[in-house]
Amino acid sequence: MIYFRGCVAREKLKRISRDTGEILKLAGIEYTILENEECCGSFLLRTGFREDAEKVMDKTLKDLEGEKILTSCAGCYKTFSKDYKEILEVELDVIHSSQLFKELIEKGHLEVESIDRKVTYHDPCHLGRHMEEYDTPREILDKITELVEMERNRENSRCCGAGAGVRSAFPEITSKIAEMRLKDADDAGVNTIITSCPFCILNLESACNDDYKILDLSEILFKRLKRT
Amino acid sequence: MEESRLNAMKRSFSILEDRKKRLFRDDYECINELSDRVKSIRKYSISNLEELIKKAEKRFTENDIEVIFAESADKALDEIYKIVKDEPIIGKSKSNTVNEIGLSTFLMNKGIELVETDLGDRIIQLDEETKGPSHPIGPAAHLNIKEIARIASQKFGEFIAPEARAILDALKNDVTKRLSKCNVGITGANSIAAEDGSLIMVHNEGNINIVSMKEIHIVVAGIDKLVRSVEDAISVVKLETIFATGKKVPAYMNVISSPSKTADIEQILLKGMYGPKRVILILLDNGRREALKEYDECLLCIGCGSCIVSCPVYNVTGYEFGYRGYLGGRGITFSRFITDNQTCFDSGLFQCTECGLCTLECPVNIKTNEIIERLRRESVEKGKYPKKHLETAERIKEKGSPFED
Repeated sequence: MIYFRGCVAREKLKRISRDTGEILKLAGIEYTILENEECCGSFLLRTGFREDAEKVMDKTLKDLEGEKILTSCAGCYKTFSKDYKEILEVELDVIHSSQLFKELIEKGHLEVESIDRKVTYHDPCHLGRHMEEYDTPREILDKITELVEMERNRENSRCCGAGAGVRSAFPEITSKIAEMRLKDADDAGVNTIITSCPFCILNLESACNDDYKILDLSEILFKRLKRT
Repeated sequence: MEESRLNAMKRSFSILEDRKKRLFRDDYECINELSDRVKSIRKYSISNLEELIKKAEKRFTENDIEVIFAESADKALDEIYKIVKDEPIIGKSKSNTVNEIGLSTFLMNKGIELVETDLGDRIIQLDEETKGPSHPIGPAAHLNIKEIARIASQKFGEFIAPEARAILDALKNDVTKRLSKCNVGITGANSIAAEDGSLIMVHNEGNINIVSMKEIHIVVAGIDKLVRSVEDAISVVKLETIFATGKKVPAYMNVISSPSKTADIEQILLKGMYGPKRVILILLDNGRREALKEYDECLLCIGCGSCIVSCPVYNVTGYEFGYRGYLGGRGITFSRFITDNQTCFDSGLFQCTECGLCTLECPVNIKTNEIIERLRRESVEKGKYPKKHLETAERIKEKGSPFED
């Protein structure tokens, strides 16, 4: 299996790829990391740079075709699942980290313990609305925390504001949207937000102070693993 | 849009959302069924548009409604001007299509006053800082009562208390006085029944009842408003009302199929009894046929504005994310066809996060994020994109990473 970290977990929030790697090791899963991991192509596709996207995707595909692929990023996951199929006509064997974690817990490869810490879950657009994966992260969180829902959740979830190139070109729009999402958590009475997309984390973190904790599912899961 | 105005807008939106939530909880099955019906009505319309246009022309003519086909906004303006050139003042009800062609500015430049009769529209017409409606059904959603009282006080040169009834009375008296001088009324149409030759309009204030009873009634509507029958049109406007206001039916649904007429004296047909002698329908293309070629989904829209209420970008920008009355992502995609790529770019083509929430909120589930993505591709090919995006794209191509360091 190839663990495709994606640009944010690879370069900006290395703690996510580190904890994910540790979880895999504890579960006895063998995996490799690409030495020259490139780009999934999502940014280029969403912003209209289609020709460039296709070139980048062709290149990335060479490393991934025929392999089982694990992603941390909801954006990579959607792009590999939907866009590679639609544009390059190739069906990739891709799984999101939340889905693999659930499998490993169910098979008994990972043992978890719960503490009564209140958290809320932010559905990344690319994993939720675009891939309709709402339950898996929640099932894990139910086992290890006390999950409190924000009013806008699942398919009605509010975007973090970063997607489709808005964060790079219109940062003021992005940060205002992120503030609204943080307020959603406030209104639910929770200041720990768990999500399954490093890009959402990067964005929500840059819009909040130390009162909040924004964590990837892998980070909180790693802390709740029983070490044998 | 200013922070205080955005906050007022968000407050209005949250009241609207609560009302909608209650209605959906109580009437879920009924709304779902209606929504399915309207989806197939709208799909039929855009797949058979040329045929519907032909039928409409024939049937409206038989019903004594004059039909003028306008391929562009300029042509529509010319045709309207021919009818109204001797009028000093004209009454108007709320219409995105009339805003689209820029009638208000056009007539002002010709020395003709256009009076908005919808309360919200009239308020924003009087406010110099407002650049357009903030919601298709609640155009003044971004203004709080104090601001509205200030705007009205300024306009009338006297103190008007920040009290809803006082504001209403002041505006109503002024509009009524002006309307009494009008011979011509201009409205849009929410839906058009091509096979029956009927125009369907919905409103809550009763203003269309007055505007449409003037000697001449001009209706400006896009060809995308055509459906087959009155029954279909009623379904469309009922669903529009539900998604726009959270109410099942509006106060008024007008069905207009002819000028006002009587034959009570020896079967001699006379037009203009209590209502208009002439009803003129201006059917506007203005890029819609081009949209039909590859982006027909864009024309499914029934104009309820449900998409903007939950839109994350719209909630922090207001009407600047949109084009004239066509607000939010879908409005921006539409602007590409009724104007051009540059206008579409300036309206916010690259500001959408493509989150997809609007599709879910849309009664006909228009996949706006996918249309946006395709239009961006077109725009990039024409060399229009945010500079930052090109820089990021270059880094990705060069080193496989979007980040600078």
